[in-house]
Amino acid sequence: MLTSPLLTVWLLLPYLLGFVAAMVPLLSRLLVLGCCLLSGFVGAAALLAGPQGAAQLNLLGSTGVTLRLDPLAGWFVLLAALLIAAVLVACWQRSPATPMPLLLLVLQGGLNTAFAATDLISIYVTLEVVGISAFLLMLSDPSASRLWVALRYLLVSNTAMTLYLIGAGLLYAQSGSFSLNALARLPLGAAQAFVLLGLLTKAGVFISGLWLPRTHAEAPAEISALLSGVVVTAGAVPLLRLAQLDPRLLVVLQLVGLGSALLGVLAALRATDLKRLLAWSTLSQMGLVLLSPVAGGAMAFSHGLAKGGLFLLAGGRLPSRQLAGWRERPLPLGLQLGLYGASLSIAGVPPMLGFAAKKGLQETLPPPLAAALVLLSVGTVMVYARLWGAPLAPASAAEPMLTSGVRFSVSALVVVLLLVGCGQLAQGIPVQAMLSSFAVLAAGVLLQQALQRLPVGSVTPPVHGETLQHLLGNLVLLGSGLLLAFQFGVG
Amino acid sequence: MAPIRLLELLILLSALAGFTGLLLRRNLFLKVLAMDVMGSAVVALFVLFAARSGLRSPLLVGLSAASSSGVVPTDLADPVPQAVILTAIVIGLSIQALLLVVVTQLARVDPSLDVSSFEHRN
Repeated sequence: MLTSPLLTVWLLLPYLLGFVAAMVPLLSRLLVLGCCLLSGFVGAAALLAGPQGAAQLNLLGSTGVTLRLDPLAGWFVLLAALLIAAVLVACWQRSPATPMPLLLLVLQGGLNTAFAATDLISIYVTLEVVGISAFLLMLSDPSASRLWVALRYLLVSNTAMTLYLIGAGLLYAQSGSFSLNALARLPLGAAQAFVLLGLLTKAGVFISGLWLPRTHAEAPAEISALLSGVVVTAGAVPLLRLAQLDPRLLVVLQLVGLGSALLGVLAALRATDLKRLLAWSTLSQMGLVLLSPVAGGAMAFSHGLAKGGLFLLAGGRLPSRQLAGWRERPLPLGLQLGLYGASLSIAGVPPMLGFAAKKGLQETLPPPLAAALVLLSVGTVMVYARLWGAPLAPASAAEPMLTSGVRFSVSALVVVLLLVGCGQLAQGIPVQAMLSSFAVLAAGVLLQQALQRLPVGSVTPPVHGETLQHLLGNLVLLGSGLLLAFQFGVG
Repeated sequence: MAPIRLLELLILLSALAGFTGLLLRRNLFLKVLAMDVMGSAVVALFVLFAARSGLRSPLLVGLSAASSSGVVPTDLADPVPQAVILTAIVIGLSIQALLLVVVTQLARVDPSLDVSSFEHRN
């Protein structure tokens, strides 16, 4: 079904449509929707075709570029299409003359290629395209602090990608090829360390991802939804491909992923601002995505949709984004439904899709990691339990907190999570897994209640370790850590 | 030590110098420039890897003419890394331009462009 001409059109169309959208702003929103539709179709087809039916596109012969559209890429392509459409609908009422539709199309083009690329240079180029369009989207509504955060984002990510290029150069010098396959065959050393450093920074994982919380908290809410939901996955897909090819790197990535999941949960428990809590939780969930290349796609898909919805809700006219006193401020029913739906999915509660994704992850992991995952799930529930339990506001509130666009796209995202989740359950109800997930839920909620009574829970620590100097220093730390690990044979 | 190894060492040292500048300079403009030093070092690294053992350009000397005059193909520079790094140069330039635009905007907040004055605003 996925023929080479179709794939070529799919890869190039976003850029072409972006050009048309800039010429004819009136059409731009429809063009974005059309592009999302085609991309969603391609993603779903790649998912349904399975690993045997993976489509491969060889461009320009033996020294050329190979693109591979397997189920792993399918999850992410579908996620990008759904989330970009949701964000567009959420901002539908704004004037179409802004550059936003153009940037969304370029972003989608970059993401699609990044998900399908299998060589280091294509990945480099597409990650930079994604980074630049994310940077410009962040500045769609500029202020002094947003300018600074966007500059920081581009500076750190470009530095990481420059180091990545050194790794790519080292690989070429040793093997005469830029493909991921060649990297997986190389003895572990500096080439892998540099490449992993660049990709881990882009994916917002562990200490190299500490740029993420402030960036995602500061950006406009609908852009944060894109950044947290799908932009960070552009760095995660090449990592998952590498883990698929090389079991030594899989072990390293699992260690880094566990560290990231723990760090994100601990920081999110102490966050004082709603968007920062969501951003820290992204750092933690991206760590979980890296644990298994088999189940990572479904994990990232369910997380991306739910987190996108939560960020869109956070952009509404909430009484306050402060988490202190969250349970005293009433919220209307619609907002509460979206909040519960999306956060229960991330917490892995049936019948939401997050449950099926987490169960899939649990089954592919060795027992010690699976046990760690259960503990981390309790932590995730504790994080999101902080958002539950606000009283219901009367329906006749003077002014709606959400615009109709946001309401529509958040409900669409939650319905997709619910329906796909129910579809997974329809294949057979796993009673044991369901019971254990309810036990995790109960444990998390109870622990969170207990934590709140402790004086420690209410202390708000000042934020350290997130200045530009720290971010760059973290690159050095993680890079030397990776080199040491390779030297002493952790892999 | 072979001269080509020495060259590689010098290039890696200049990349390190760029990174150190990025880390230690307080001025935002100098930070952005230091990043460019790093990028240029990587460009030089790719050109060096492309050189293999010779520095002749394959486009100027045709392969058949080269072999008749006693030049073996490995003496010719490898075109693939050169083509790749051309793309990276373009990307580096555009990112540099975007960063400088933001730096000029930030200069309105603090004309001395000291990093700490942006870090602690909020």
